[in-house]
Amino acid sequence: MPVFRWGNAWDAFRDLEREVDRLMGSMNFTPQGVRLGRTFPAVNFYEYEDHFLLTAELPGMTKSDLDLSIAQGVLTLKGDRRADEVSDNNYRRSERYRGQWQRNLNLPDRVIEEGLKAELVNGLLKITLPKAPEVTPRQIPIQEGGE
Amino acid sequence: MNNELVPQNDPERMVPATSEAPEQRLLFTPPIDIYESEEGLVLVADLPGVTLENLELQVQDNKLTLFGRVNRYVPEGMLGQHEEYGVGDFLRSFILSDEVDHERINAKLNNGVLKVVLPKVERTEPRKINIDEGE
Repeated sequence: MPVFRWGNAWDAFRDLEREVDRLMGSMNFTPQGVRLGRTFPAVNFYEYEDHFLLTAELPGMTKSDLDLSIAQGVLTLKGDRRADEVSDNNYRRSERYRGQWQRNLNLPDRVIEEGLKAELVNGLLKITLPKAPEVTPRQIPIQEGGE
Repeated sequence: MNNELVPQNDPERMVPATSEAPEQRLLFTPPIDIYESEEGLVLVADLPGVTLENLELQVQDNKLTLFGRVNRYVPEGMLGQHEEYGVGDFLRSFILSDEVDHERINAKLNNGVLKVVLPKVERTEPRKINIDEGE
């Protein structure tokens, strides 16, 4: 469906039009505004009593294509999703994500970073993050000012 | 346009009947690639979470249908959740052209990616027909 059109006289711009259509087609118009492209991978996050569970759809990826790290409450997932070696001219349809990707996820609570467990099965990534024991609030004594 | 493989978007009509209790399941259209190769057309579909036992691939008349069941993998009892994607089954169907050799279709499932090769029918050489002169 054409989304964007120059006037009829602009035949030379047909390629540009097509490109712009493609670009517009990949935009998500969300209530929060426009989001460019699809986020890859989509991530789900669940909270349980003593741990969090993060799942992500990573079809076709293997352990060696994937890099996970955690630092200062931010979990970083990154990887490279290689496609079959096919020249672009041979594609009839291309909807699957290709290329490098990265997601930085802010964790909502303290987790035991050493206790993280991740598994990748049938293109599904599951990461279990144990919650750190609740830190009891420490009272700060207030001294009366002198004089 | 030369469309040997036309994807169809008709999830509602195509749910294969199952004997299990009617449980509310979500259905999604998986993203696909289609490209030409020497072996024929290649169809690649993202089906994360689908195992070989849970994948059905069938050709009926001229329609290729793929259906992948995803068993629920998130334990119950969560206190909160934030979801960017829904968990459900995958369904998509395609119209094959006469150029596809139905007998030689083959498929592989690897790490949640399905790859189907649709070889082209080998065309026989045109045969000359002799015409005899009448009477």
